[in-house]
Amino acid sequence: MSREDTGVRRAVDWLRDAAVSPTREGSNPLVAGVAVLVAVTVISPLLWLFLRAAAVGPREALSILVTPSTVDVFVNSVALVASVTGLSVALGVPLAVLTVLSDLPFRRFWTVALSLPLVVPSYLGAFAFVSAFGPRGELAELLSPLGVTVPTVYGFEGATLVLGLFVYPYVFLTTRASLLSFDTEQLEAAQTLNHGFRSAFRRVVLPQIAPGMTAGALLVAFYALSDFGTPAIMHFDTFTRVIYVQYNNFGRGTASLLSIQLLAVTALVLFLESRLGDAGGDGYGGGVVGTDSPVASLGWAKVPALAFCALVAALTLVVPVAIFGMWLLRTGPGYASAGIGFQWDFAINSVYVSVLAAAGTVLAALPIAYVSARSDSRLARLLERSTYVGYAVPGIVLALALVFLGANYLPWLYQTLPLLVFAYVVRFLPQAVGSTRSSVMQVDAKLLGAARTLGETPRGAFRRVTLPLIAPGLVAGAALVFLTTMKELPATLILHPTGFTTLVTYIWRVQEAGYYGRAALPALVLVAVSALSMILLLRQEGDDG
Amino acid sequence: MEDDTSRSLRRRRFLATGAAATVGALAGCNGLPGGGGDGGDGGDGTVSLSSFRGSGPLIENRASLSGTRIADLPDLSGELTIYLGGGEGGLYRDLLATFSQIYPDFTARPREGGTAQLANTIIEEGENTPADVFWAVDAGSLGAVDEADMAADLSSDVVESVPEEFHPTDRWVGTAGRARSVPYNTNALSADDIPDTVMDFPETEALTEAMGWAPTYGAFQAFVTAMRLIEGESATREWLQAMLDSGVTEYPDEFLTSNAVADGEIGAGFANHYYALRVRSARSDAPLDLAFTSGDAGALINIAGAAVVQGTEQSDLAENFVRHLLTVEAQEFFATRTFAYPMIPGVPPVGGLPTIDELNPPSIDLQELANVEPTLQLMRDVGVL
Repeated sequence: MSREDTGVRRAVDWLRDAAVSPTREGSNPLVAGVAVLVAVTVISPLLWLFLRAAAVGPREALSILVTPSTVDVFVNSVALVASVTGLSVALGVPLAVLTVLSDLPFRRFWTVALSLPLVVPSYLGAFAFVSAFGPRGELAELLSPLGVTVPTVYGFEGATLVLGLFVYPYVFLTTRASLLSFDTEQLEAAQTLNHGFRSAFRRVVLPQIAPGMTAGALLVAFYALSDFGTPAIMHFDTFTRVIYVQYNNFGRGTASLLSIQLLAVTALVLFLESRLGDAGGDGYGGGVVGTDSPVASLGWAKVPALAFCALVAALTLVVPVAIFGMWLLRTGPGYASAGIGFQWDFAINSVYVSVLAAAGTVLAALPIAYVSARSDSRLARLLERSTYVGYAVPGIVLALALVFLGANYLPWLYQTLPLLVFAYVVRFLPQAVGSTRSSVMQVDAKLLGAARTLGETPRGAFRRVTLPLIAPGLVAGAALVFLTTMKELPATLILHPTGFTTLVTYIWRVQEAGYYGRAALPALVLVAVSALSMILLLRQEGDDG
Repeated sequence: MEDDTSRSLRRRRFLATGAAATVGALAGCNGLPGGGGDGGDGGDGTVSLSSFRGSGPLIENRASLSGTRIADLPDLSGELTIYLGGGEGGLYRDLLATFSQIYPDFTARPREGGTAQLANTIIEEGENTPADVFWAVDAGSLGAVDEADMAADLSSDVVESVPEEFHPTDRWVGTAGRARSVPYNTNALSADDIPDTVMDFPETEALTEAMGWAPTYGAFQAFVTAMRLIEGESATREWLQAMLDSGVTEYPDEFLTSNAVADGEIGAGFANHYYALRVRSARSDAPLDLAFTSGDAGALINIAGAAVVQGTEQSDLAENFVRHLLTVEAQEFFATRTFAYPMIPGVPPVGGLPTIDELNPPSIDLQELANVEPTLQLMRDVGVL
């Protein structure tokens, strides 16, 4: 009885914490209430996992969880997450610093080129890498007359390399965002106070960009945890690969059990991150957006820096585009089939559903981002963290959960666009929350206070002051969600309205049938459309430079 | 005359060069006596066989065909939601489009996905499933849907034209077959290097460090399930371990396995028969041939098949649709466009393949292939998965 009381009281405390935050104007109880509602809604489909897992007997469950291969899979997954995150930070942070703070030649070009790998679905990237660098791959064929042998790309190293190369832009973009909003005068001041660039960077810049880096790194970590395609193609066993195999063989109980284990890993990563985050100070300063003018001269390092950028761009863009182009030109299997013919409708469908998903996700993200940016309460933190759950769950697991809920309880929604869009919102919410949250943080509360003093209603102040200021964050979030929705496969395959073919479901269809050549055109279209939205995203960012 | 050629084939091996195997066949003998309608799409309801037939080097000189024809069946009319599982989905769409051309009142709404994934979807959907027909590329998925009481009984006239092992229950029926086979590189190996039984593979010196497989691929897991049913758990476990010890290479699917064999990346592999035909169809100079084992799991014939989904409001149309999949025309489509084994005896396979009765598949109930869970457990224990 009394224990329940404390539980309820704690929940009330959380709510009050959220409502009465340090910057009072930010979170009124209504916003907090909506935020809680959104969070509960997006997590609710996962309850199905526990129902399914409960169908597995406790003894069998235990035996599945402690078999050596399950332990191996656990170790593999954690190792892959760590290595991919490490590689992404190692690539993303220096590249962001180079393109924002240094006098690297053609910075605009490099910014675009180095962001673009995000538009290449990692499973297509993996295919391209295997085709190019695999045993008997194109590169091996090319080099073999010269007596050069190419090392194999399969396994842990290959999976790390491919995933790292195609998801590091998360870190690159979030770090850039923090660098751009960082007041470079501070750095200059530090440098004039006899700190070298390196020391000034460590003492002034790094603490400021740490939250941005961490946000990007979290996205990378959970991407690595939930991605199925790349580990499968690179022959490396992770949770997702085993879960996928289970789902494809009616082992739904086992699959849900493993998914819950995956969720536990998610929780662990979030916990570690929150420990790290607490130590990292109070996040963004309230600074006005800084300038994009270079503050560090590269000097002799200019050539190696250019070579580094060029190498990354070549591996992530030239290799896949060249391989897809080669598939496109090469004659395919001996017979044509209308059923596997490409139609431009597929691209239109992809864009349409991705725009809906981007809009829906940003709307859902707004209250959560608002509460979490304006409040330091446990509730606020819990809300923000909870959005990562749907992101870390493999798409196939979430999709089948929604099949169960949709067909049985919401038949009017089942196999309709709204349910598909809802799946995307659940999957990609943290991407929008992250960027919206950082832009909300940069809104100076004094400005709002001034607007209120001048007689604006809270709603008016939001519309006239807050909204214009957070618009870049919203657009950035929307663009990220658009990109990832364009690429998402399992949820699309399972939940699409019948007859609604998108680029990825078409790529799946021809690839499953073994017609790799047919996947080339849609893959190139997918990359091109996503690249356009990426340029939009960067233009938004670049307005102040 | 075609019979002469097939008799000259060694029972468990054949050359994928279609030309060599079909030399004796007479051009033009594909007309059906009394069947009518070969001449073209008359407006009188007759249907041209040529609109169902594929083309290319593997499909010259087809034998004469016999069986139920589309003209013998009632018209298809209405709308059907068809859950279409697996890789052939794209090609099966062409067959659906052809049906819609023949029957303007018929609309097929295909919904594609992985075969097992769609079976899981139907089971999750339960009685609210929008599916009228489940058309899957593996017996295990059909068996799973059947065991979840989601497949309706089919009339005996629907299933009787298909040999009984390809419809162990009357709630689903095979529409096309795929045989397990051993594609091998003719530059690296000769036919005599491939043992008669799959159990001998790990001890065969020529195959050490030379084999490839795709353990996450459904057809491979069905094969291991068959081995488990035939040889028992411990023998299967030992075989998997021995294969690992002999340095087998892993591929994501069996098309890539077959391609790797053609490339010489590996000497031989485990794959369904049609992948090699596909590679040959695209690259006629590929040094690739097929071998078959005999009477064991390596000679398993799995099927694509169809079921009418329990609770559909379109059960008559759905059943008539399944009947159409077993006509001479549809079977010729599967044989010549997807390189599958036809399910009715009156339509032979392409490419000089041994006919279905010349293969020596193990005698097991295909429905039992649905019981993959212990197989996966086994594969996980050994470290194959």
